[in-house]
Amino acid sequence: MRRGIKLIVSIAFVFLTVPVPAGEILITNASIHTLTGAGTLENADILIRDGAIAALGTDIDPSSVGKVIDASDKQVTPGLINAYTYLGVMEISQVEGTDDVSTADEQFSSAFNIFPAVNPGSTLLPHNLIHGLTHAVVAPESNQRVFAGQGIVLQLGKPSSILNKSAAMFARLGSSSSEAGGGSRASSYLKMQQALADTQEYRTNRHAVMSGNWRDLSLGVHDLEALIPVIDGNLPLVVNVHRASDIEVLLELKRQSGFKLVIAGASEAWRVADKLAEADVAVIIDPMANLPIDFDQLAARLDAAALLDAAGVTVLFTGVDFLHTHNAFLVRQAAGNAVAYGMDKTAALKAMTLNPATVFGFADQAGSLEPGKQATLVIWDGDPLEIMTLAEQVLVKGKIIPMTSRSTRLRDRYLDLDNEREIFYRK
Amino acid sequence: MLALALNSACTDKPDVITGQEDPFPSTYTPAATSPVLLSNATLLTGTGSRLDNTSILLIDGKISAIGREIDAPGSAVVIDASGKWITPGLIDVHSHLGVYPAPSHEGNLDGNEITSPNTAQVYAEHSVWTQDPQFTLALAGGVTTLQILPGSANLFGGRGVTLKNIPSRTVQEMKFPGAPYSLKMACGENPKRVYGGELKQTPASRMANVAGYRTAWIEASDYVNKQESYAGKQAQGEETDPPLRDLQLETLAEVLRGNILVHNHCYRGEEMAVMIDIAREFNYKVTAFHHAVEAYKVADLLAEHDICAAMWPEWWGFKHEAYDMVEGNVAMVDAAGACAIVHSDSAITVQHLNQEAAKAMAAGIDAGYHITRAHAINWITSNPARALGIDALTGSLEVGKMADLVLWDGDPFSVYSKTEKVFIDGVLIYDRLDETRQPVTDFDLGIIDPTDERL
Repeated sequence: MRRGIKLIVSIAFVFLTVPVPAGEILITNASIHTLTGAGTLENADILIRDGAIAALGTDIDPSSVGKVIDASDKQVTPGLINAYTYLGVMEISQVEGTDDVSTADEQFSSAFNIFPAVNPGSTLLPHNLIHGLTHAVVAPESNQRVFAGQGIVLQLGKPSSILNKSAAMFARLGSSSSEAGGGSRASSYLKMQQALADTQEYRTNRHAVMSGNWRDLSLGVHDLEALIPVIDGNLPLVVNVHRASDIEVLLELKRQSGFKLVIAGASEAWRVADKLAEADVAVIIDPMANLPIDFDQLAARLDAAALLDAAGVTVLFTGVDFLHTHNAFLVRQAAGNAVAYGMDKTAALKAMTLNPATVFGFADQAGSLEPGKQATLVIWDGDPLEIMTLAEQVLVKGKIIPMTSRSTRLRDRYLDLDNEREIFYRK
Repeated sequence: MLALALNSACTDKPDVITGQEDPFPSTYTPAATSPVLLSNATLLTGTGSRLDNTSILLIDGKISAIGREIDAPGSAVVIDASGKWITPGLIDVHSHLGVYPAPSHEGNLDGNEITSPNTAQVYAEHSVWTQDPQFTLALAGGVTTLQILPGSANLFGGRGVTLKNIPSRTVQEMKFPGAPYSLKMACGENPKRVYGGELKQTPASRMANVAGYRTAWIEASDYVNKQESYAGKQAQGEETDPPLRDLQLETLAEVLRGNILVHNHCYRGEEMAVMIDIAREFNYKVTAFHHAVEAYKVADLLAEHDICAAMWPEWWGFKHEAYDMVEGNVAMVDAAGACAIVHSDSAITVQHLNQEAAKAMAAGIDAGYHITRAHAINWITSNPARALGIDALTGSLEVGKMADLVLWDGDPFSVYSKTEKVFIDGVLIYDRLDETRQPVTDFDLGIIDPTDERL
């Protein structure tokens, strides 16, 4: 086994035997899940220079590297990505002033963008980061509108930052869109269809619309402008939808309009897996969400992710449950459960790394471990999918992240209750 | 039976008047079954032990023998459990299955009687929909016993009920024989938000929460006094009318008599300390604080007062009172000598309660504690059994106890392991390897495909 992998390494990477200068970081002797064609490298090293991966291999000379991290018996993966969160835009769900996820305002729909609400100082970010989550897709929500607006890609780090200010357009169909449709999902569908058609019309008659010499369109100019990259296929349209029949309706709309469709939630997506694979539609799913919690999700099941993957669908993970924001890092537990219920292990790892990076357009920087990409990775003390495994060290763009959060600080000050009066002097 | 069940909690109260007999008695009796020998497994006993290469014999619904060499009767079904693990059946001390079923819709939301801050008169069991498909999902996760609680909108939410996770037509058939009732109480944000915030009535503040509890206990104490006075007069042959029954006060009076266990939703450390004082003032016992996100801050106090804390491994941030979460919470409470419980409050995580315990164990080890699997399994078996007053009957693998147990296809603290077989009272209730032993609720039947099951 080990010999076979080394052979692959020798083909895929140039061995670096020349000494490397100080200021660099070398992670040695790790089991490295590259999530590239190179597979998993055993007893291998990662050389980090200028925040990026400079080399991967088995023979990198550590003698002149400034910092060497011995990762013997450890496993390394790219930083994890949760494909559907409210990270950075929600501190405490029930404290109104800290929750900017959704708005009842009806002036804008697709033009709404969540980015100005992002708070890089949120305590949720270090908490998730030290558990291995380095990127997150952040979505807006709306019960009143079919199009909730645009979401972003957040890069967690010290400091955290927005990687892409407009990473996707978010919408919903099915029973959860009924309110937006005035009580019927059919009306929501009509609004979506009309918006896309009007955007087409707007783009070809922009001047006339702007100068007031055109009929009224279903959306305002700002919303129409925001939908242009969607109909051009440049901005993914993420639609929250569960019921198989709703997904089929969406696939038909995609055939007509040609946008880049991603479906999220997707409890019944496995029932139309072949059609999704054929239409190259990626699916964001929480593999542990197996409750028939409404009549749109009757077919929810624990092996849904495995079934989708087996059919050739690109699977992206979120979860677990409603904790997909405060504990967005639990996407790792979700992935582990997907494997327990039949999904291939590498496929499960990709569903929370390479796949979301690819679908949301930042795979040139993250999502796999290969020379040239960000040195954004996690050193785990064991199998990265195993429930009791802990992130031992997280690196973001080559920077070693202090493994501390407000939560670990609280823990540490209360570890000793014997000297009660001293608790509040422990910093 | 009740007295037996109450062995670990509230035994010091005189059995003065036990009130009415339960009008909704359990009708559960285990099905007849052959003896079962599960051989050569790794046992986590729920008493702190790990026994390798050990067999366990189930006869007449009870654990009849545990050991390396067991002489099983000829009629026994022998299951080779080599390489597999056995734990006590998992117990979820905080569940709303049946009262907040799937599918979730207005017609089904029966867990909160929010019309008054004190609804001690309601019984969660009267809301239970036995055909909630979440019951069978939890069963596949190895959960054999659940406490179904009313919600946390009220200061006094009503009576909780302990159920065996047996597919049944009636809730009475699920009721755990001999388990005491519980009273659901709630601290903090929920009651003040629902009544003060939404309904513009008291309580609108935490201080009014406390006034509300105390006012109710004063009335309940008076009710007890009246009943005792009536009993005294009757004993002396005096002709007198009995005091009018009051369902709300009856529940509270049973708490004061030690027959109903208090399960108190309470996040913050200082509120737990106040609730402990209220319990002392009115001479009742808090059995467990639930959702005890800040239990680690007062772990010594919980140990001193023999109060369990039921916790999540890492839920936080949905309310300000759930902001100070630490992942070491369970381990820190445990290390302080208090009774630590991992609970779900979720129809998702109840299916993976072993994983919830595993996360809490990993976090405890990360915090510097030495914790074994043999110990951590107590958080989801014997400790919740203790909080439910049924630890003399179930929650551990010991001879004479109910044969409620789970056969796992591997280490139950691994994400890859799944239940293989679930036994309740020695009866095979779920078998992952045998479709004919996988119960299907009425709801699931034919709902997607008329000729098939939902899953």
